[in-house]
Amino acid sequence: MTQTAMALILAGLSAYLLFGGADFGAGLWHLVSRPSDRTVIEHAMGPLWEANHVWLIFVMVMTWTAFPPIFADVMSVHWIPLSLAALGIVARGSTFVFGKADSGPGGGTPHGGPDQRWYRRVFGASSMITPYCLGAVATAVATGGSSWLSLAGVYGGILTTALCAYLAAVYLIWDARRLADDDASLRFRGYAFLSGTAVGLLALPGAAALGVRSPLILLSAAAGAASLVLLLRRAYLSVRVTAGLAVVAVLWGAAEMSGLDLAGAAAEDAVLKAVFVALGAGALILVPSMTWLYVLFQRQPR
Amino acid sequence: MSTVALLTGQGAASPADFMAARQQMAFTLGFHIVLASIGIGLPALTLLAEWRALRTGDAVYAELARRWMKAAGVLFAVGAVSGTVLSFEMGTLWPGFMDKYGQVFGTAFALEGIAFFIEAIFMGVYLYGWDRLSPRAHFLTGIPVVVAGLLSASFVLTVNSWMNQPRGFKLVDGKVTDVDPLAAMFNPATPVQAVHLILASLMVCGFIVASVYAVGLLRDRKAGRDDRYNRIGFAIPFSLGAVCAPLQVIVGDWAVRFVADNQPAKFAAMEGIEHTEAGQPFRFAVFEIPNALSLMLRFDAHATLRGMDAIPAGDRPPAEVVKTSFEIMIALGMVLLALAAWWALAWWLRRRGHRDLPWRPWFLRAAALTGLMAAVAMEAGWTTTEVGRQPWIVYGVMRTEEAINPNPGLRYGLYIVLAVYTVLAAATISVLRRMRHTPPAPVAEPELETVR
Repeated sequence: MTQTAMALILAGLSAYLLFGGADFGAGLWHLVSRPSDRTVIEHAMGPLWEANHVWLIFVMVMTWTAFPPIFADVMSVHWIPLSLAALGIVARGSTFVFGKADSGPGGGTPHGGPDQRWYRRVFGASSMITPYCLGAVATAVATGGSSWLSLAGVYGGILTTALCAYLAAVYLIWDARRLADDDASLRFRGYAFLSGTAVGLLALPGAAALGVRSPLILLSAAAGAASLVLLLRRAYLSVRVTAGLAVVAVLWGAAEMSGLDLAGAAAEDAVLKAVFVALGAGALILVPSMTWLYVLFQRQPR
Repeated sequence: MSTVALLTGQGAASPADFMAARQQMAFTLGFHIVLASIGIGLPALTLLAEWRALRTGDAVYAELARRWMKAAGVLFAVGAVSGTVLSFEMGTLWPGFMDKYGQVFGTAFALEGIAFFIEAIFMGVYLYGWDRLSPRAHFLTGIPVVVAGLLSASFVLTVNSWMNQPRGFKLVDGKVTDVDPLAAMFNPATPVQAVHLILASLMVCGFIVASVYAVGLLRDRKAGRDDRYNRIGFAIPFSLGAVCAPLQVIVGDWAVRFVADNQPAKFAAMEGIEHTEAGQPFRFAVFEIPNALSLMLRFDAHATLRGMDAIPAGDRPPAEVVKTSFEIMIALGMVLLALAAWWALAWWLRRRGHRDLPWRPWFLRAAALTGLMAAVAMEAGWTTTEVGRQPWIVYGVMRTEEAINPNPGLRYGLYIVLAVYTVLAAATISVLRRMRHTPPAPVAEPELETVR
């Protein structure tokens, strides 16, 4: 039961990194890129609101229910970076929806008013603050360090932000192609190539310095190298898979080295059972309705 | 304290930090509760308007439904992020509470998360389905939004009612054992609190939306216009609030009786009873009616009611705050009830062919304030129940001081949160105001058509 609970939490974290992380990265590129690229980014992101934060909420609720002492400990010790991350989520989520609502009858294309510029800046800055803070806390927890301001924490923050940027660039190549914007597609390919190389150069020595001895490093490195090759060969869909694998393997490696006392912190079996039943029943409703939303989103308006 | 010491977490929490943590929780929850109310009520209003549009084919109803749902989309997003902040704060402010009792009420939050996600998905289906589904199917996809919204609010509320009436666990040598998540969720306070909150949410949303159109109607009057759009936009939400107002009075009475039976300290604070005695008078603001409280509560003018002096000094809530907020809630509730009754009377007279609905300026001016009144009443009621529970975070079991994050500097967190939320509130209102002025446009975004 404890293992299942932990596996669910790790799965939720992985999903948050892969989907929410790409949203953060997209926010970062949104800040630095040119207007035509911004259109691609805005279109690639969620239809209504930042749905991917659901993964984070899932992880938090699961942790406080299944491993309450670990939740209490991590949240209280790291309250400063975690509060900053939460405020980053507020700033991001609200500027995202304000930008869409404020852009007039035309929909997603920004019309360049003063508000839109502010939305963009806040959106971009908070897209970096939140993954940085979350990554710093995750690294502090994984290495058993005390502070997000320690060297390991700072390293983890930068690495996580870079991972998000890399994932976003990789995903956006295909999105730009779908929008028939070949120039943007090529630029994102360049960004992906650069950020991928940078992340690899950052992650591997870091893992060595932190004393990570896990085969997951090899997996991550291999997947990362394969991604660079796939980028060169313009296999834009398969590179999504390898890039995701390279990124998520870093998270798994960190989880492996954290050495948290799960058995000692676990909730009672009755609690875990109730939560699993609730999640199972919820999935029966959620999965079909989610599928329907996606199908509907692809359909032409009448 | 130096910045370095603060950022690296040295030192210890001060009493100022404790107060700051309570204020931060109160402020962020108070902010979220209004958005959550609108998140529950606005889809319901939208469905009412769309149903009328389907029945009558009237374009005004359809336009109202579209606009309300667009506004609901924006407010839903702000509500989602302000709700996310609350789940962070559970741990960053109250780790002692989460550490010990997280597993007892965690299931309720898991269910809440699922209900919220369903609400979000169908909100998306509803918004994107305007031009992609048949009108009938589209109307039906709105129903899960409302149902899931109500469920999600109820699940969250089970946790608060559990804090008032903790059940579903045993304490053995200070350790929590024998956890029964369902018993915790269905504690005795759940039914009354859930019904009270849901009615309050519908009133808050109904009256806030009605206020917007009341202002529009006053402008119309000044300009000598007669805009059917504003009249219907007022009538639907005001009627929703007006229907809930009398029900809320009945449920409020149930809630007071429940508190009197189960939380004597909170009750004594609410009613301002200092001494335990027979034949308690009913005190309200500066008024006092002899024996009335005993009569109302126990149907016996000479019944003995416990006062604050029956509660150990260390277990007393701050009585002044509780009494004042309780009185504010009651007074505003009565004003809303009176306006609702006036509206109902006018409605009845109109049906009998006597005259039109009350579009007189005095009524519209009062109606323009009902949104604010309902929101203040809700915050006051929330203050009554939360402050009235003090000094306990879990009634009779855990003190709020035991729950606080021991790390220093929480007060700086409060300052930052206040600043961020002020900007957020201002930006939300200004975006909504601008959305009002945009000309009617199809919801389906043209960008989508260019894609494929």
